[in-house]
Amino acid sequence: MKAIMEVHDLSVTTSEGATLVWPISFTLEAGVPLTLLGETGSGKSLLAQALMGNLPPALNASGRVIIDGENLLEMPPQQRRRWWGRRMTMLPQEPWHALDPTMRVGAQINEGHRLVAGLEPAAARHAMYDDLEGLGLADSEFKLPAQLSGGMAQRAAFAAARAGNAPIVIADEPTKGLDSARRDDVVRLLAQALGSNGGLLTITHDIAVAEQLGGTVMIMRRGECLESGSAETLLKAPQSAYGQQLMAANPQHWLARHQHFNPADDTVLQARSVSLSRGGKSLFDNLTLNLYRGEVLGINGASGSGKSSLGDLLLGLVKPDAGKVERAPGIASTRFLKLYQDPPAAFSPFWSLGTLLHDLCRLHKLSWDSVPPLMERLGLAPDLLERRSDSISGGELQRFSILRALLLEPVFLFADEPTSRLDPITQQQTLELLVELARERHCALLLVSHDKALIDHACDRQLSLEAPIRG
Amino acid sequence: MNRVISTLLLQRLVQAGLVAWVVGTLTFILTRALPGDMAFRIAAGRYGYEQVNAEAAAAVQAELGLDQSPLIAYFHWLSDLLSLDLGHSLVSGESVVSELAHQLGHSLDLALMAMLLALVIGVPVGILSGLRPNGWVDRLALVSAVALRSLPPFVIGLLLIMLFAVQLGWLPAAGHGGGSHLWLPAMALALGLAAVSARVTRHGMARVAGSPYYAFSRTRGLSEGQTLARHGLRNVAVPVIAYLSVQLVYLVEGVVVIESLFAWPGIGHALVHAVVARDVPMIQGTALVMGLLFVTLNTLVDLVSLYIDPRRRLS
Repeated sequence: MKAIMEVHDLSVTTSEGATLVWPISFTLEAGVPLTLLGETGSGKSLLAQALMGNLPPALNASGRVIIDGENLLEMPPQQRRRWWGRRMTMLPQEPWHALDPTMRVGAQINEGHRLVAGLEPAAARHAMYDDLEGLGLADSEFKLPAQLSGGMAQRAAFAAARAGNAPIVIADEPTKGLDSARRDDVVRLLAQALGSNGGLLTITHDIAVAEQLGGTVMIMRRGECLESGSAETLLKAPQSAYGQQLMAANPQHWLARHQHFNPADDTVLQARSVSLSRGGKSLFDNLTLNLYRGEVLGINGASGSGKSSLGDLLLGLVKPDAGKVERAPGIASTRFLKLYQDPPAAFSPFWSLGTLLHDLCRLHKLSWDSVPPLMERLGLAPDLLERRSDSISGGELQRFSILRALLLEPVFLFADEPTSRLDPITQQQTLELLVELARERHCALLLVSHDKALIDHACDRQLSLEAPIRG
Repeated sequence: MNRVISTLLLQRLVQAGLVAWVVGTLTFILTRALPGDMAFRIAAGRYGYEQVNAEAAAAVQAELGLDQSPLIAYFHWLSDLLSLDLGHSLVSGESVVSELAHQLGHSLDLALMAMLLALVIGVPVGILSGLRPNGWVDRLALVSAVALRSLPPFVIGLLLIMLFAVQLGWLPAAGHGGGSHLWLPAMALALGLAAVSARVTRHGMARVAGSPYYAFSRTRGLSEGQTLARHGLRNVAVPVIAYLSVQLVYLVEGVVVIESLFAWPGIGHALVHAVVARDVPMIQGTALVMGLLFVTLNTLVDLVSLYIDPRRRLS
């Protein structure tokens, strides 16, 4: 088998000398996908940037990265720059943000064929049409990224990244925020791109991606490689304690909840024959629903099926086309709350978390006394209060979101995909804490997720929304 | 797309009507509220201060009907405005429209040249600063921007006259003639505008250069120049153009001061003279044109924004 990229003792350090990625060695072989699996914030993305050579200026990479006998790390930046897009390319996280928001999708793919691959204008246009056609984006040539769904944007970004025909593809969390059907599409694309001569390095926290890609898997934690081996054997029987923990946390392996909740007649919220449609398509029709205190209701469905809209409707953020939602009388409106999917977007990055929480307490005239015990329950160290939201991990920040919501003693909490951006272990811990605390405090929890296994595990009752027919 | 543009134009047209009415009414009230005898002032404007006596003033008062009630005068003016009749200058006797048509051209020359210079200076400085945030270009640009924006346009104008006209003798100090007369007044206005444009550009550029789509453009193989040209400039232009409409206030206000300072025969200059001579139709006419100029330039800025930012064209 042909080694297409050899990595020897690659490490990433800050200019102050702290090590972010411990020395790691591996070989990328032609035609065999390599998947790095690990928790969020374990240095996986830094590794990808070190391989590409686009680390932030304050970070240094050392070791050797050999492609065709040349050490990438010793190459002058200008020369390495010429390899980008032509010999190695990187598939971005968050495709929506990776595409230029003011340029039409067709033009963004076309420029790759013309400027990177160096095709004549007519040939480049032809190649662009082939790409759009092949990726099911035939009618998207003149659309702007904001008009695409997450899955479509990822496919468009894929075509743009691959236009220069680079044989080596580095994919950094390519399925972040996508539902399982879209995720499977992306994995299929990656496998296709690999062919028999290409190299594919995928960095992910999603075990399903590693399973579907096959090939070689490495498990990483805190910038250190714990073990590696073929996907088939390693994912079934990991040797390291962390690897075992990681597999156990896969929602697929969670046990479904069998204990049933007996509603005392303690209704928080009642939806009476509500209907909602979007873009001329009916999402749900004549739906009647009661929510009781202390119960966990799950809503499951593919993206675009109206899960989040139903949650927003119950919360009163969206008006139903017909029917109405009634809240139990005599409860303050601040006790009906929402927990957002993307924690960094829900906190101001300009103030320390302590300041934000103090402000919240002052605004709602709450006593600070309830904060420390709750922080302890949520496993949040007191010194985190001095940090700002962009310098703590995603899991910690989501637990801060939960803390912030619980301080107001909610009777109804709508959690919209609260753990979809977290790695499996953090996801399991976070979700279990959320459910436990909600039950304990007699708060009705509405949990929306595209992950059926997760809903089966966590919820007393569930509702499945059919996906609308996708264009 | 067409619907977005026609809605925009319709809105602006309604706005123009409102501006015309409000500006006209306010100038009417303000000129009546000015201290001093109106008839005396007008007579002074016509015949010179030495020649004015009570008789001349009385004659002016009778001729112009200044003794009629303000309310009636206001409705006269309003109905004339509706028939697009701005009246005649009380001083020169020329029709206000023909005087304005002459002066508007000069003011537009000055305003457009100032805007152009501001962009030519501000945008490149902003881009250079934004590509290396907190580098020496950025810091120097920040200090200059703060200094230039803190000075009122007439101080900048005086400094420019002292340097280029008095010390170096390269450009005429004031007046109107060949193209060389335009440089100093346009520059005096442009520097303040450029200061703000450079900062808006700088922030836009730093944000765009740090964005995931800028990084993605690089890693998929576009060169630095191609990335800047194809994904940088348009995205930076969006806030810069949008902010120009805020800057128009500074521009229109600056035109009045700078024209007086440089004896530039535009509407700003005419407005100041009309205020001194209490030439009410001219005051109303010039203020009206400046108000409408503001709306028109704003509309232009909106159309340019629509052109460069396709997101805004989605209905």
